[in-house]
Amino acid sequence: MSFIELKSVVKRYGSNTVLQDVDLNVEKGEIIAIIGRSGSGKSTLLRCINGLEPVQGGEVWVDRVAVHDPSANLRELRARVGIVFQSFNLFPHLTVQRNITLGPMIVKGLPAAEAATLALAALRKVGLEEKIGAYADELSGGQQQRVAIARSLAMSPSLMLFDEITSALDPELVGEVLLVLEEMAREGMTMLLVTHEMSFARRVAHRVVFMHQGKVWEQAPAKEFFAEPKTVELKSFLSSVIH
Amino acid sequence: MSYRFQFRDVFAQKEAIADGVLVTLQLSAVTIGLGFLIGILVAVSLVYGERWLRSLARVYVEVIRNTPLIVQLFLIFFGLPGIGIRLDVMTASLLALTINLGAYTAEIVRAGIESVPKSQIEAGVSLGMTQPQIFRHVVLIPALKNVYPALSSQFVLLMLATSVVSQISAADLFHAGSIIQSRTFRDFEVYTVISVLYLCLTLLMRGGFGLLYHLVFRRK
Amino acid sequence: MIRELALVDVYFLLLALRWTIGLTLLALLGGGAVGLFVAAFGAARNPVLRGVAMVYVGTVQGIPLLGWLFIFYFGLSIVGYNLPPLVAATVGFSIYAGAFLGEIWRGALVAIPKTQWEAGLSIGLNYIEQLRHVIIPQAVRMAIAPTVGFVVQLIKNTSLAAVIGFVELTREGQLTTASTFQPFSVYLLVALMYFSLCYPLTQYSRVLERKRRVLH
Repeated sequence: MSFIELKSVVKRYGSNTVLQDVDLNVEKGEIIAIIGRSGSGKSTLLRCINGLEPVQGGEVWVDRVAVHDPSANLRELRARVGIVFQSFNLFPHLTVQRNITLGPMIVKGLPAAEAATLALAALRKVGLEEKIGAYADELSGGQQQRVAIARSLAMSPSLMLFDEITSALDPELVGEVLLVLEEMAREGMTMLLVTHEMSFARRVAHRVVFMHQGKVWEQAPAKEFFAEPKTVELKSFLSSVIH
Repeated sequence: MSYRFQFRDVFAQKEAIADGVLVTLQLSAVTIGLGFLIGILVAVSLVYGERWLRSLARVYVEVIRNTPLIVQLFLIFFGLPGIGIRLDVMTASLLALTINLGAYTAEIVRAGIESVPKSQIEAGVSLGMTQPQIFRHVVLIPALKNVYPALSSQFVLLMLATSVVSQISAADLFHAGSIIQSRTFRDFEVYTVISVLYLCLTLLMRGGFGLLYHLVFRRK
Repeated sequence: MIRELALVDVYFLLLALRWTIGLTLLALLGGGAVGLFVAAFGAARNPVLRGVAMVYVGTVQGIPLLGWLFIFYFGLSIVGYNLPPLVAATVGFSIYAGAFLGEIWRGALVAIPKTQWEAGLSIGLNYIEQLRHVIIPQAVRMAIAPTVGFVVQLIKNTSLAAVIGFVELTREGQLTTASTFQPFSVYLLVALMYFSLCYPLTQYSRVLERKRRVLH
């Protein structure tokens, strides 16, 4: 079985079908970029993978865990799957350090000293050790997003999900975040990124998936995906995106 | 019409006044402490509880908030002996006030809990935290911070509302009024002085809560 | 002479309920009038007017309602003659309600963005016309939910008029208890009557609040 397997996944919000019959396989160590127009279902797809959104049909398997099963206890899986959100979602009442040590201490039961070491290491990875005592509102958007990444990294995940993490950032702050992502990719992390950053996708992703009308419309290895789009919809999407 | 205001007689009753102030403060402090805890418990029941618990909590909140405090007090002090529960003045006062404050606090804290953005909860869920863990580490402090003004206003209102226990002869500041009144016959002056004292207590409490906010919620 | 709690007692309690409602309405009228001034002053550009409103509200809200009732009860009997408790109660409640209503209404006025004033100005309306056609209609919509919520407070507060001898529902309850020695049943009935008055209004204010959220 692949590391992530989506089989005929169906997701509805009321009468609105957001994901129709989605099939997707991801192997360990792969870096997948998911692109598409807004409303194509890309964020929803990501959120179905760690169970934030329940599915109405099909199967979602992550590291052999049946995420689609309503009775499944996903806590253990979630401790191994990191997700970074578009709006960072840092805890405003806690320092950067506490934001990062909360998961390891509360969920994994690590002692404070060990968690603190993990936090420092994670912050070093994203280049923000000196901000360890700061609060979220003292940081720029790019810094907050990097702290959010560090918060997920501190849980030693085997999979990282990124939901348009640079979309809410001022353009000049995007670069610092992408650098962190590239470093993670080099180290062999399995990553799924919903993104608009086409040049980043072409450079870093192994495979790119194009979502359209709730389906996986086209997917291919990165170079081929951008150089030779096969479907009309992908061609028109790529031409409408300046890169 | 000639009437000479005689405030001096009232001021001469310093001791009675001081005793009254002390009782009012003690009553308020204990009620606020207990009422706050009850309020949080009931709010948690309202937001996270099973259906039966939610209904129970909702009934408690609605009954208390839609009936007057003085009637609740009379029911507890005068009514309960009728079914065999006889409480002394202070216990009855504390019970009525606490039950009353608990309901109002519950509504305020509930609003606070619901004001925490869903995205925060999602971040907690995504880290693998349980619901109780999320409540304790992610929801509680921001919730209380959001409703701090409403909460502290409610507590000040409670301190003023404690004056109602004078009606079952509890020895609070307002009751001191009737004692001094019977000694000096200066009805108007007595209650004016007592009212001004309550105003001072209000100002002190408001200042105190303002200070508390800076101590608890502001970063070093 | 002790007698059994009978239907006639329920009847008298219901009659007293009329006085609860009556006093509430009087308080709304008096308090509403005062509240309009407090709101207008509190939202004014003139800092002196704002200061007056602030002092008024701060003082009234810093003294227990019982205090106000007693001050007016004893104060008025010095100034005037022996006025019935209803008068003292009405004055006391009007002063009290005026502060709270004034704050609610001031909040509604202040919540209207400056851009609305500018819009009125730019189509040639003067200050009064701006108030009448642009600001007040919107302010009313904002204020109606908390105002209804305050009416519930007022109904409960009228129970304190019993203390200065005004015979509304709570006082009638005390009197009924004195003659039947059934405090538990009597006060339970009294509570039930208050509840039947307050709860529907509370629900109504919740509906209004939801509507208000949708609009803004």
